[in-house]
Amino acid sequence: MVNVEEIRDYAANLLKKGEVKSVLGFRRGSASAFAEPCTITDVGEATSLVWDPTCLNNLTLYLVKDRKQQAAAKNPDNRPVGIVAKGCDSRAIGVLLQENYFKREDVVVIGVSCEGTGVVDPRKLSAKLKGRTASRVTFGGADGINVSVYGDETETVIPAREILADRCLECRAAVPALNDVVFGEAVGAREFDEPFHAAKEAESLSADERWATWEHHFDRCLRCFACRAVCPMCYCPECVVDSTTFVVTLGTSAEEKANRIRWCERSANTSESAVYHLTRTIHLAGRCIDCGECERVCPVNIPLRLLNTKLEKEAFEMFEYQAGHDIEQASLLSSFRDEDPNSFIR
Amino acid sequence: MTKRTGVFVCHCGKNIAATVDVKKVAQELAEDDGVVFSEDYVYMCSDPGQTAVIDAIKDNDLNGMVISCCSPTLHEKTFRDASELGDLNAFQCEIANIREQCAWVHNDMEVATEKALKITRASVRRVQHNQALEPIGVPVTRRALVVGAGIAGIQAALDLTDAGLDVVLVEKQATIGGNMLKLSETFPTLDCSQCILSPKMVSVSKNSKIKLMTESEVESISGFVGNFKVKIKKKAEFVDPELCKLCDDCTPVCPVAVPNEYDVGLTNRRAIHIPFAQAIPASFTLDEEACLGLDPVVCGKCEEVCDVGAIDYDKKPTVTEEEIGAIVVSTGFDLYGMEHMGEFGGGRYPDVLDGLQFERLCSASGATEGHIMRPSDHKVPKEIVFIQCSGSRDPENHCAYCSKICCMYTAKHATLYKHHVPDGQAYIFYIDIRSGGKGYEEFVQRSMENDGVIYLRGRVSRVYEKDGKLKVMGVDTLAGRNIEIDADMVVLAQAMEPSKGTAEIAKILKIGRDKDGFLAEAHPKLKPVESVTAGIYLAGAAQGPKDIPETVSQAGAAASKVIALLSKDQLAHSPTVAKVRDPWCTGCEMCVDACPYDAIALVDGKAHVNEVLCEGCGSCVGVCVRAAIDVKNVTQLQVHEMISAIMA
Amino acid sequence: MSNPSKVTKAEDDTQGRASVAGARKPGATFEPRIVAFLCKWCSSAGSDLAGVSRIQYSANATPITIPCSGSVSPMYILSAFNKGADGVLISGCHPGDCHYMEGNYLARRKLYLVKELLQFIGLESERFRMSWVSAAEGAKFAEVVDEFVEDLRVLGPQNRLKAKR
Repeated sequence: MVNVEEIRDYAANLLKKGEVKSVLGFRRGSASAFAEPCTITDVGEATSLVWDPTCLNNLTLYLVKDRKQQAAAKNPDNRPVGIVAKGCDSRAIGVLLQENYFKREDVVVIGVSCEGTGVVDPRKLSAKLKGRTASRVTFGGADGINVSVYGDETETVIPAREILADRCLECRAAVPALNDVVFGEAVGAREFDEPFHAAKEAESLSADERWATWEHHFDRCLRCFACRAVCPMCYCPECVVDSTTFVVTLGTSAEEKANRIRWCERSANTSESAVYHLTRTIHLAGRCIDCGECERVCPVNIPLRLLNTKLEKEAFEMFEYQAGHDIEQASLLSSFRDEDPNSFIR
Repeated sequence: MTKRTGVFVCHCGKNIAATVDVKKVAQELAEDDGVVFSEDYVYMCSDPGQTAVIDAIKDNDLNGMVISCCSPTLHEKTFRDASELGDLNAFQCEIANIREQCAWVHNDMEVATEKALKITRASVRRVQHNQALEPIGVPVTRRALVVGAGIAGIQAALDLTDAGLDVVLVEKQATIGGNMLKLSETFPTLDCSQCILSPKMVSVSKNSKIKLMTESEVESISGFVGNFKVKIKKKAEFVDPELCKLCDDCTPVCPVAVPNEYDVGLTNRRAIHIPFAQAIPASFTLDEEACLGLDPVVCGKCEEVCDVGAIDYDKKPTVTEEEIGAIVVSTGFDLYGMEHMGEFGGGRYPDVLDGLQFERLCSASGATEGHIMRPSDHKVPKEIVFIQCSGSRDPENHCAYCSKICCMYTAKHATLYKHHVPDGQAYIFYIDIRSGGKGYEEFVQRSMENDGVIYLRGRVSRVYEKDGKLKVMGVDTLAGRNIEIDADMVVLAQAMEPSKGTAEIAKILKIGRDKDGFLAEAHPKLKPVESVTAGIYLAGAAQGPKDIPETVSQAGAAASKVIALLSKDQLAHSPTVAKVRDPWCTGCEMCVDACPYDAIALVDGKAHVNEVLCEGCGSCVGVCVRAAIDVKNVTQLQVHEMISAIMA
Repeated sequence: MSNPSKVTKAEDDTQGRASVAGARKPGATFEPRIVAFLCKWCSSAGSDLAGVSRIQYSANATPITIPCSGSVSPMYILSAFNKGADGVLISGCHPGDCHYMEGNYLARRKLYLVKELLQFIGLESERFRMSWVSAAEGAKFAEVVDEFVEDLRVLGPQNRLKAKR
């Protein structure tokens, strides 16, 4: 069992010694039981850090945001940042390191093991509680999540299987491999769903059924770009499929501005949203570490994880490639093997 | 900039006009955005056609043009030259291929015209975003590397030095000369191979402009045309060629005997040996693999007897780096292995020989001093069977291609045999007789008429040993009967295959190979001595089976290409290279990993393209998720425009 | 690598095709529009050879010559479908024959993923095709195009990813 005091002490110590300028972690949310991301800069704030199954966010996003902020700042503060990272989050850091987004010494990874469980899916929990609001959610050992609700402080153990986020059910590596310290037991294996379970299930539908599903999803997409905003891998200065993010610098000529490519229109309709989502999926191939944030933040509940895990499944099965596992390796798409699949080619 | 695009649609006589309504194409394109001039003409590439193009550029102040005609491989250069004459940058001219990719492959005029319109329109949209570019100037190292010192390499090296160039000549074996050294006499003139080759070998050794490196191999290469850096590894030189005085005191004391490569295994040699009497460099050499461990405790006999102290077991291999402007690869051939010819007893019966072994039997410098006798019992063979196409022209079991020289050398073998054994009988099994070449057909006829060689058209099914004879079971398809010959000797005209190590050298030099493993020329007709990599040329049998005159011609051709290349002060490198859009680049290095030419590196956290190394393949474009890199004049914007034009 | 789900998918696609084909009016000739990205060194040259050999094939595929199959951005494919292409063909040099040594290997991996993704969201698998055509394979190029056109005729127009403009 992770002792949260140890995380707090470690974070406080980092700040005390001046090894980091801040620590990215989780604190108790202002409403309901769910934790929220926080940045602490004072030693004293370390006591507010929490660790429980509601620590959903992939805090790597804020690492990216900090880098962007420092890059634009007049007097950048490039001191290292500490970050509380789950197994999946640490792989995100791995991908960013692989892509030279920052250097290893720029980050202190405070790893936490999910110890064989994971984080809860707020929608599943809400459905389970039938309208009541959780006041406290804690790890309850290998199979359960302890939940108490407002107005009734008795803890009920809900089987983890029923309320864990889908990605956690399929997780293959719940212990942060890339870390400076790990809290909690190194329990990596899960016995919930097989890896890529959801993607495999979707594959078993017919082409027409699959299209019916995705046409429905693409049709509903609002193009709010929440999925892009929450994704730590979507750090491109300009989004290839969103011409409004076009980068204008002092050197940008009028011709360049006139000549930006509109691969898809901005209007939120099926065909244009399809181009947006498919492009995003391909651009995340070999880079998505399945933190599930895109799907969590989608206001219209598009199962975006499915698209990304489909390609991660192919990467794993066909190319033995796992995103964020090896920061030294060439990325999925800029490498190849002689034995890569060839039979699909005429 | 306002687009002022010109369109020129070629009839190509009737070649295009018969299936594409060229007038319609020109007229419709005239309506397109930015097109200020659009015309059709019967022969665009003719002098009046080109003049019309040049005039139209000037009259209409064109800043881009599309020639809708044949494949760019034919006339892109023609029209880009014309473009320059009209003061329009060559890279503002694009070709729309409406002949090979349209008119010639469709017969319905309506659909062909529709497609020609799309192709032309796409090119127009592309050219409207083309940049004016100038070739990139690259300095040149006036020094050539020749890899492989058989007759091809020797000829190329000598031709290169004649033009005043310095040459590094690298040879894997201990002597130069290659396979030609092993030949007795050459067809169709029957002059002695060594008599024509040895003087050239001596010229190499006496030529101060040639740096000869035997027992050496190319280890790695970096750089690019005009500016290669080549690492060459030379085996440990245990015998100092400067000190060795060829006294031959060492070989009698050497306790090791291994098959002699020079005699194709018909004789043995010692671990310390001279490859043959006239070897260049003229020195003994120590075969490291055969020697008893280079350890004076184990043996050390040769060192003891060497009066001049030329032998030093402690020598180590050396690696030198040479600066090179251009490379000729002439790594030659090997014969297809006898072990593949089980049905003919190849590799099983001592009296079943391959072509080169038979050469050694006929050669005055060979094991038998020019007397043809059976390796098994030293008897003179009275009945001899030659089997042509052994391992050639058999895609199911062996090599698919024709080895080209076997018809002629078999005729020569049979003739030489008759000269040595006048009362013997020679039979040749053949599929076809391919005797194209000056004096070749006459030579074959002479072998039949004057020397009574019996040509049997048909294949041999099996050769086996019975009662001291080699039973040759064949068929004479002209007479329609089975043939059975009790032969004393069988000679297999083995196919030529690329020499061992061809795959490795091709990989090191980054040049392609064809489906049979021979080095691939850049174009089968128009660039027969160029490899696909700029600055690397091909000569001799490494590129495909060929005889000596052809090899010498190709070596000369390769040398002249190198001479032309290195005669320039600067080389022009194509400017259609990758370009990074800095604000978009995040320095993720995906392009760095994908680049096959190591042309991209991070500079201050952004990808930076070395334009001289970049070949413009666009592998970087395909992997960049940020669309931060483009190949000039084939940008993603341009491809997008082309897709739009086609799908409009 | 064994992948049992592949079998199911193949069957599904046949069903998908049958349903579309069944919806079409009998006798109507549908002319599919194909965008064909051909690498300059092999497939475009192979297509030139088909021309030189006067091999007749369907005119439905319009070629865009690119330096190398490795230079194909997945955007090209999505864009072509978005603009209404009924099929997209990418053709490059055979493995080992790439003029740029490795571009076709990079293309193969990347386009495998694109193909899997397009199938996953329910685009008929027959609509995206990749081929290796060497400069010497004029006849093969013609066959590849003809077969593609045949398969697309059965499928009918591509409406799934096409922009409704």
